[in-house]
Amino acid sequence: MQEDFHYYATYCAAYLAGYSHDECLDICYSAQFVDCCSRTFLTKIKAPLKAATTQLQLEMMDARTDIVGLQDITRIWASFHFLPGNLYAFKKGRNKRYMNKYRLICEPDSNLVERTVELARGKSLQHIGISMHVMADTWAHRHFAGTPSLVINNTDDYFYELDPNNGDAEIKIAFRHNPTAPDDLDKHLYTNSLYQSNENSVMNLGHGRAGHLPDYSFIKYKYLPAWGEYEEVIKDNPSDYTKAFCQMIYALKYLRGVNDTFEVKRYDEEAIKPWEDKIDAILRKRQLIASEDWKAFGEELSGCSIKDFNMNEYNDEYMSAAAGDKDATVLGKFIKGAIEQKGMVTNQIFKSGNILAGFSKEMFLGGGAK
Amino acid sequence: MTKIRKITETIWGVIMILFSIAMVLFSEYAYPFIMAALTLGFIFYGFKSLIYYFTMARFMVGGKVSLYRAVILLDFGFLTFSLNDIPKIYILLYLVAINAFAGLVELLRASESRKQGSSWKLKFSHALINIFLALACIIFIRKVNTAIYIYCFGIFYLGIIRIVTAFRKTTFIYIQ
Repeated sequence: MQEDFHYYATYCAAYLAGYSHDECLDICYSAQFVDCCSRTFLTKIKAPLKAATTQLQLEMMDARTDIVGLQDITRIWASFHFLPGNLYAFKKGRNKRYMNKYRLICEPDSNLVERTVELARGKSLQHIGISMHVMADTWAHRHFAGTPSLVINNTDDYFYELDPNNGDAEIKIAFRHNPTAPDDLDKHLYTNSLYQSNENSVMNLGHGRAGHLPDYSFIKYKYLPAWGEYEEVIKDNPSDYTKAFCQMIYALKYLRGVNDTFEVKRYDEEAIKPWEDKIDAILRKRQLIASEDWKAFGEELSGCSIKDFNMNEYNDEYMSAAAGDKDATVLGKFIKGAIEQKGMVTNQIFKSGNILAGFSKEMFLGGGAK
Repeated sequence: MTKIRKITETIWGVIMILFSIAMVLFSEYAYPFIMAALTLGFIFYGFKSLIYYFTMARFMVGGKVSLYRAVILLDFGFLTFSLNDIPKIYILLYLVAINAFAGLVELLRASESRKQGSSWKLKFSHALINIFLALACIIFIRKVNTAIYIYCFGIFYLGIIRIVTAFRKTTFIYIQ
């Protein structure tokens, strides 16, 4: 997902869950900041590098693709952007090497989503924001894995947009590898990452082979995922994004203490009823990014102005704080939440017998793996 | 490229340059060396692709491409191995065919890159060099040693390109 959903839509969801304007800003800032907190940024502010929640293009170019490098990549991307759907999935006739990658495929409504929300309960607003980013991405990035893998994340040229205004008529999507040209929505021409036959190439990480299609809320399309045994998958982004929004409201109410429990496959559709048509119109509007529309909706809801996202807003506060006081700063709380989230997901992946995210510290504390 | 990859590419480039110089200096042994290097290379990558296909790619949509690549590489490897005991002129023709084929593949890749809006000039120059080498070998086919020098020039050129590419900034399309 993009800034339109992670920042502005998360603000709206938090407001609808009952948070104040300032609390909403804290939550949505952290939700968007997950896409900005790279090792390069952390080095700049002299913060722990293990809190990295993303990797920049330049960092990916220098990333190793041996087992250590793969574990480092997987720890970040599986923990924050492609939360695995089923770490114990079974597929007949597949070997361990294949299944390790297959089990990292991101799906919504998983056990890990429950754990992510539970982990944020009673924690800072920054940690809540991180959990909302992770949850939202499970809907957008479903069917792809947060580990480099040709056999899981590859796609071919069988890509069709389904036009809802014309009875889901199929329109062929074309891909190109031009980094400078923006996606052309009118001509159905999109940029994706180059085909690389190397299994562990970083070009085969996440949804690169599908370009930005998973991040556009308006689009409904079908394609053949590499793992799908030639069965078509229909990705209905307007529907998925609506569920993501409703699930965020439901989770945020739980985190605020309104509800006693959080369960997956439950969405607070009642909360959006008065604005259902407006939200649907925003999601279905054919545009590269919907920030302005979500921002306008958020300001209408709260009656307050939503400041633009600035990733460097809290740098000075963090850098000027004394060593013992850093944890109390905005970035300090974010860093703490990020480390906890990464640790939880890494531990769960390791416990399932999968070493693609590396070793869990609990192994050394007596936790062990299955 | 990662630092390790740059170092690896540079080392390979240096090896290729030294190999080409050695073949020029010891031209009477050139053919066995060329065939041995090609055989080992084809068989190694052929088996690597075969193992990848049976462990991973056979479960993937379009995974049979890996199998085809493996079979072609292995076939080339075994064929190259079997050519060690035949008149040199036929070996030269075989090398010409490999170069011409590689040149054609690079030409198609350059054309595809150009259509996709990606960088294509380096691929195109590789294609031209491969085809030029193939043609030059045919033209001088009766002068066996001259053909070796032409072939060595090709390997020398590829070694230089490998080193240059290792330190070249490349456009990296990465969807975040």
